[in-house]
Amino acid sequence: MNVFASFIAALLKYNTPLLYGTVGEIVTEKSGSLNLGVEGTMAIGAIGGLLIGCKADSLLIGILASFFIAALCGLFFAFMTVTLQANQNVTGLTITTFGLGLYFFIGNGFKSAGKWPDMLQCEGFLESTKPINIPLLSKIPFFGEAFFSQSIFVYLGIIIAVVMWWYLKYTKPGLRIRSVGENPAAADAVGINVTLYKYIHIGIGSGVMGIGGLLMAVNLSGSFEGSKCWIDGYGWISIALVIFAKWNTLLAILGTFVFGIFNTLQVFGPTLAEKFPGVLGWLNKIPPQFMKALPFVITAVVLVITSISNKKNDQPAAIGRNYYREER
Amino acid sequence: MTKSSKEPLIRVVKRQGIKTWQICLLYLGAVILALGIGAVLLLFLKANPFEYYEMMFTLNTVGNKMAYIQYETYIQELVPLLITSLALSLAFKMRFWNIGGEGQFFLGALAGAAVAFMIPTSANVFLTIFLMVVAGSLVGGLIGLSTAALKVKFNTNETLFTLMINYIALYIMRFFGETKADWNIFLRPDSERPKFNQIPDNAKMFTIPIGKFSLELSFILVILLVAVVYFYLKHTKQGYEIAVVGDSINTARYAGMKVNKVICRTMFMSAALIGAAGALRVSSVYALSDTISNDVGWTGIVVAWLAKLNPIGIVIVSALITILQCGSVVASSNFSNVDSHFADLLQGIILFVVLAADFFIRFKIVFRKKNTEKQSKEANV
Repeated sequence: MNVFASFIAALLKYNTPLLYGTVGEIVTEKSGSLNLGVEGTMAIGAIGGLLIGCKADSLLIGILASFFIAALCGLFFAFMTVTLQANQNVTGLTITTFGLGLYFFIGNGFKSAGKWPDMLQCEGFLESTKPINIPLLSKIPFFGEAFFSQSIFVYLGIIIAVVMWWYLKYTKPGLRIRSVGENPAAADAVGINVTLYKYIHIGIGSGVMGIGGLLMAVNLSGSFEGSKCWIDGYGWISIALVIFAKWNTLLAILGTFVFGIFNTLQVFGPTLAEKFPGVLGWLNKIPPQFMKALPFVITAVVLVITSISNKKNDQPAAIGRNYYREER
Repeated sequence: MTKSSKEPLIRVVKRQGIKTWQICLLYLGAVILALGIGAVLLLFLKANPFEYYEMMFTLNTVGNKMAYIQYETYIQELVPLLITSLALSLAFKMRFWNIGGEGQFFLGALAGAAVAFMIPTSANVFLTIFLMVVAGSLVGGLIGLSTAALKVKFNTNETLFTLMINYIALYIMRFFGETKADWNIFLRPDSERPKFNQIPDNAKMFTIPIGKFSLELSFILVILLVAVVYFYLKHTKQGYEIAVVGDSINTARYAGMKVNKVICRTMFMSAALIGAAGALRVSSVYALSDTISNDVGWTGIVVAWLAKLNPIGIVIVSALITILQCGSVVASSNFSNVDSHFADLLQGIILFVVLAADFFIRFKIVFRKKNTEKQSKEANV
């Protein structure tokens, strides 16, 4: 592979977790709930999916486990905020605190008991995480292998993003959940079961985040370190990406890889600068922290610009506010 | 009875007039329940919950000759959390979601450290600390002010905006910590690898020795701050304005309050206090680091909310949360299989249980009365 192709390949491989996080959060936010617990949800989904997947020695079971465990976190969020009317920001942040606490609690528990599974020994699991060559397409010279020889996670992530776009835009339940996110009282008045819709979509959204968490774990070979969580801030970047993607899961694909370029450049910057000193020599001069901060800077700027331009806002109107039926 | 008048089986209605002692009892029960859940988790790890909790809540100070060190650490951790929670509660009272505590803290700490390194080492301790606090609060406050200005002018979502600033600030901190250069006053000049330098002696926190234990000046300051914030919110015009804006912006406008001014002013204060907390923290731990905030920006949100934004409540809750955090570190050195992150887990469980308990304070569940028909007849008679 040439350097550009391997750049693209790494870009897809290491940034797809952002796509899962973002798509999950978009689905959640479309229902009018701001779930700030992405980081914690991803951490719980990751550790649950990896442990169960390795135990069963099957990636499929691992993915399903991470989805359902993370979805449970989402349902819990829904229970707290929809049924018990707790504040969404506080509940979300607590899910992050709790999720990271649980992550370290479980991880260290397994590790100190000497039962932490070695992912690289789980052959069935490991085999399924290897890149899958799409026939013909992966044979395209130059870029074929980069784009069409990826792990199942990359394909699945893009499929989920596209399906969610179609679902939210063109199906009846999709229309309904958008109306719940815009104006729950009106949705309630036309007979939509607001509570049920919120539960389902918050649950699905969190489940999708969980798969992204599992991918982060797989990318790090499932090795647990007591000091640093696998997710390492990707949950927060996902929340930022939702704004950048204007609550559109198709744009989320684009946004993920635009943001991902900064991540990947930190690794590839020196190589690229060495190979093309004339054009890309400046890459060596940029501090790595600047690259890391750039996604957040861009998001902050996008946030301000969209609010100044004051056009029809893409943000669901009822976001962050709980709906209490008797307060109409 | 027609179908349209049918009441749902279970209905949630707002509750009024619950007594303070009932709330306290409910919260106490919630905390005990959370500790019970934590105990079950500890049993999974084959740790004795009673021993663990005992060590955690006493900070392992019983019969310990070095206990004063634990108390000093405790105060050192408590002060930033308490200031940050108080500061956040100001903004939350107006329903302004300042979740940028982390960022304001980091930048305040940087500003404080900059003063510490630039001021002549002959300067007086009090003057130096004072200037550090001023610098920290100015930097923090200006960030808060700009967030508030964007909110009132363009209705920029403050939750998301402050969230972004947190990460930008974190990477600014890392940039200073990892970039070796002549202009970088924060680093050790003698070290090959970039490493944060210790602040000069005259910038180190002034302490009052009480026996072996030495009390930080900042602890006295923070106690004063609690009193000031309490008075400000309860007994001043500005405090009242904050409450009205939080209740209903339209009411505030109707009453002729300058809502934008109130939001900007309060947010400036909120962020300035957090920035000051950052500067004090540098003075207290002697060096910058990218974990200097110890997550107080996040924990402070939880504390402020648990305490119902009440200054006295914030003192109690932050004291408790700090015990959890310091205690779990102490206990983890004796229970090798229980990680110190157990505190986060426990903190999460406590908050969830308390949030759930909150529901029963704000609402009550009403079941459909079986004899609605009969009652309505009686009413007609």
